[in-house]
Amino acid sequence: MPVMTMAHALNDALDVKLGQDPDTLIFGQDVGYFGGVFRVTEGLQKKYGLERCFDTPIAEGGIIAAAIGMGVFGLRPVPEIQFVDYLWPGFDQIVSEASRLRYRSNSQFWAPITIRAPYGGGIFGGMTHSQSPEAILAHVTGIKTVIPSNPYDAKGLLLASIEDDDPVIFLEPKRLYNGPFDGRIDRPVRNWAEEPTADVPGGHYTVPLGKAAIVREGGDITVLAYGTMVHVARAGIEDSGYDAELIDLRSIVPLDVDTIVASVEKTGHCVIVHEASRFGGFGAELSALIQERCFVHLEAPIERVAGYDTPYPHTFEWDYFPGPARVSAALRRVLEF
Amino acid sequence: MARFEFRLPDIGEGIAEAEIVRWHVRVGDRISEDQGVADMMTDKATVEMESPVSGIITELGGEVGDRVPIGSPLLVIETDDVEAFPPAPEPASTAKAELDAAGGLAPEPEHTIDSPSDAESVLESGPEMTEVIAPQSEARPLASPAVRARAKALGVDLAHVKAQDGKRIRHADLDIFLSYGAAQGYRPAGARRADEAIKIIGMRRRIAEKMAASKRNIPHFNYVEEIDVTGLEAMRADLNANRGDRPKLTMLPFLIVAICKALPDFPMMNARFDDEAGVVTRHGAVHLGMATQTDRGLMVPVIRDAQDRNIWQLSAEITRLAEAARSGKATSEELSGSTLTITSLGPLGGIASAPVINRPEVAIIGPNRVVERPVIRNGEIVAAKLMNLSISCDHRVIDGWDAASYVQAVRKMLETPVLLFAD
Amino acid sequence: MAERERGLYIPAPRARPGQAPDFSDMVIPSAGAVRRPPADSAESELRHLPYTLIRVLDDDGCAKGEWAPESDVDMLRQGLRAMMKTRIIDDRMFRAHRQAKTTFYAKSTGEEAIGAAQALALDHKVMFFSSYRTLSWLMLREYPLIDLFNQIFGNARDPLQGRQLSILYSARDYGFYALSGNLGSRFGHAVGWAMAAAYRKSDAIALAHVGDGTSAEGSFHEAMTFASVYKAPAILCIVNNQWAISSFAGIAGAREVTFAAKALAYGVPGLRVDGNDFLAVMAATRWAVERIRAGLGATLIEFVTYRAAGHSTSDDPSKYRPAEEAAHWPLGDPIHRLKQHLIAIGEWSDSRHVQAETELIEQVRSAQKEAEAIGTFGKSKPPVREMFEGVFKDPDWRVLEQRRELGI
Repeated sequence: MPVMTMAHALNDALDVKLGQDPDTLIFGQDVGYFGGVFRVTEGLQKKYGLERCFDTPIAEGGIIAAAIGMGVFGLRPVPEIQFVDYLWPGFDQIVSEASRLRYRSNSQFWAPITIRAPYGGGIFGGMTHSQSPEAILAHVTGIKTVIPSNPYDAKGLLLASIEDDDPVIFLEPKRLYNGPFDGRIDRPVRNWAEEPTADVPGGHYTVPLGKAAIVREGGDITVLAYGTMVHVARAGIEDSGYDAELIDLRSIVPLDVDTIVASVEKTGHCVIVHEASRFGGFGAELSALIQERCFVHLEAPIERVAGYDTPYPHTFEWDYFPGPARVSAALRRVLEF
Repeated sequence: MARFEFRLPDIGEGIAEAEIVRWHVRVGDRISEDQGVADMMTDKATVEMESPVSGIITELGGEVGDRVPIGSPLLVIETDDVEAFPPAPEPASTAKAELDAAGGLAPEPEHTIDSPSDAESVLESGPEMTEVIAPQSEARPLASPAVRARAKALGVDLAHVKAQDGKRIRHADLDIFLSYGAAQGYRPAGARRADEAIKIIGMRRRIAEKMAASKRNIPHFNYVEEIDVTGLEAMRADLNANRGDRPKLTMLPFLIVAICKALPDFPMMNARFDDEAGVVTRHGAVHLGMATQTDRGLMVPVIRDAQDRNIWQLSAEITRLAEAARSGKATSEELSGSTLTITSLGPLGGIASAPVINRPEVAIIGPNRVVERPVIRNGEIVAAKLMNLSISCDHRVIDGWDAASYVQAVRKMLETPVLLFAD
Repeated sequence: MAERERGLYIPAPRARPGQAPDFSDMVIPSAGAVRRPPADSAESELRHLPYTLIRVLDDDGCAKGEWAPESDVDMLRQGLRAMMKTRIIDDRMFRAHRQAKTTFYAKSTGEEAIGAAQALALDHKVMFFSSYRTLSWLMLREYPLIDLFNQIFGNARDPLQGRQLSILYSARDYGFYALSGNLGSRFGHAVGWAMAAAYRKSDAIALAHVGDGTSAEGSFHEAMTFASVYKAPAILCIVNNQWAISSFAGIAGAREVTFAAKALAYGVPGLRVDGNDFLAVMAATRWAVERIRAGLGATLIEFVTYRAAGHSTSDDPSKYRPAEEAAHWPLGDPIHRLKQHLIAIGEWSDSRHVQAETELIEQVRSAQKEAEAIGTFGKSKPPVREMFEGVFKDPDWRVLEQRRELGI
């Protein structure tokens, strides 16, 4: 099986889809000729032609509106928003239109669009290139939000998202495009080639939406994470020495609540790790769900390891970014409660 | 962890063995002190055995139907730490182990007391009350949801449990409290269970109907007399010591001999009253019904012509019929035709009883438990073995005088046992 | 009246309640005055059109000039009926709202020609990304009245299952895209749809409407950019009815530039058309279709018209404009003008008009009764289970659990 970086795996997914389905189109800023600022669409215009993968004006609302119109016609558009930080001009299209179209038309019309966007920090990108808005997206009924943490999942989840008939926001952890990253900034940058999850089969396969992955089985405590934080959490667990069960959510919506509940019932302890700021973050919803469903099993409060409640800073990247030390400290506090 | 062998005690006054009729537990089960583990059948009766310790069953001493000699291990239990108060286990792992044991459904964790069963040793070597019981306070006790759920399932009021860290009650605090609490009365009487509706059908229904008819139609009266069986027991012991390979004798054959021998002078006792026809038939033969407790309920196999049998024959027949009744193999001839019935609960027999007559018979005899008590003989206090004998009679056709005289006749033979064998 | 005393200039309409209606700054060319350039002209040759007003019917109902379309009189009568039916429904439903039979209604009084004429000018391969003021399109296309009323009443047979506000219809089979209450956000969907049609080499066309006020939304401009850049086969219309609730068109920039002239910034033709002139609307729409067929992409059309009634059942226009302003509108009434034209060419009469009106009233009335028999708002609704349907293609565990909480 070929070893692929996450960027390659995503590119491969798009290549497969463009090859299989003439109704799939890709567009966004700089994605066509140039191949995208993170190279995820590299080579696709050359291979499939101008009409299949093209550049758009800088108008996120226009991009998403056009995608919705195309989807209504019967195509399967995959627009890219260059950084999810720029989603906001197009947010009206997502909330007011895409998320409600099927509902308000009694399924006469629907928008099978997949909006791809790089998200998350760890790259000194500051507050306009590092945001994690999944909590805001989770709260919009009628859209799905998917976040892979490794190349294998990235390709499979992207294919599944494109083939899903509902609108999907596909957030790609930009820190992981070219290598895994566990937050250990004192060590050399690592390669995807070292990770088994970089073995990506060629051709078509999917990873189902709404199914979490148990990355590491354990009995002491449940750790929930997604995106880059899956790797950070794993490092924190190793450093702590606890026998933690690490779950990669993979889908924010639809959420695999059964896997989460089974794990917390088993361990009685839970720590949630996300880059996004803590207050009103997705960890808050997970905490609410867990305390509703696992209350009598809980031996200690649920803790969230998260970004601080500030805009994403620049120079303070590693102070802000939740690293393995914060994760192990949280595990210790919870287990020694 | 300690290995505890629960050896089968003598449950039938000198019986040699008892038969396993039913297990209530399996290997691997976690049990608590006083929990019923098996039903054992003796000559007289079926007795439920209760475990003296808590722990996990690791071995069973046999299968249903096996006879277990008195004194041999009935089952083996792996008890929890034998120390009076073990160091507090990891709350997480304990709770988790319990959850595992309980099959994952938290609301009813089965946490057992980690202490020896001997309540005295708890009192002697246990913690001081001040270490375990929370001081009176208005403040609401603090505990994690899991600890609260466990306390609630156990019926423990957290207000009584002392938090060792002074702030929050943990699983370990609950463990200590429970081990203390069982002996000090903090353990609630039990958990509320759901009502259970059982249809009265089959044999149970027949028994119910028969009992009701008996009481409805027969004006019962009851007479109890105390019998000194010291001598009889000594004789029985002698006979058993010299029995060879014959099965051990219980009290019952002796009693039956006495009953049969006294009857010719009191024929009204061994009769059937057809109250519709208004005819009492005094039987010549003594077909003695033996009320026997089985899984399916009360059955009365019949020793036919008991008057013709000797002690050893009676003993064998009693065993055979009890086995047949319990295994369901008794024929209907064996289960009917009694003229007089005897009902014994063995060590459960109490000190007096008022049994229900096996209609259309006119009397039923209920020997009670043998107890050792001080009596005065020749002005001296001595230990004697005493057994009350209860009898219920149909007052329509038996007068008190007759019943009492009959019992005195039986008594005389039992108190001077040589008379059982003399003419 | 400009308020130069203030530092910041705030535009205001010429007449407020109590003042005389004032349309004196409207430049109205006579019917037929504007020439009709070929639809495949270069855009640079069309740059004067946004500053004129294309009119066909004169004040006597005669069709004048190069823009006069060839039209079948049956089609025109069909158009007239559709407009009349629209007006009858508007009247009845507005009263139904006052009777608490519905929670909301918006009339299209004075604008009926636009939807009906475009529905005639375009074939069935069009998707109409409309505003909420184009009932006449659905009436021309014979959308079943019972379905219309069931949706307005939100009753058990509402085709949209009680999920959407009254009058925000969806009718895919009639080429009518699902309305949302948001302004301008669907304009770009029309462009995307048209781009898809082009991609698939289909001859389908997208038609879209926004109002004068809505043309200020960013979504309008983004859609125009995309339409221009990708030469989308779309007909994009600004229906300038002079009022956006209580804000006159000057708040959206009408004083500075015509709405049609916004086309110039995007390099597409901008036609400015008398929206109360049935024939002019048809003609302009056909011209835009021809242009698309010539491979030259989108056209922006401004329809100059007047919102004769209030914005909706929640609005009272006498609070912000002269009560008789509608009556003074210089471009007249669309139903009257088409009727007058048909009479002028001998294809209609007053008595036929009265008869048609009677028939249409009866048709509407009986459909309304049928819908009322099913139930009006609050008295009848679809099963509550429908509240949970259609969020996603397949329901997820959240709505299933929440349904169970409600016991359904």
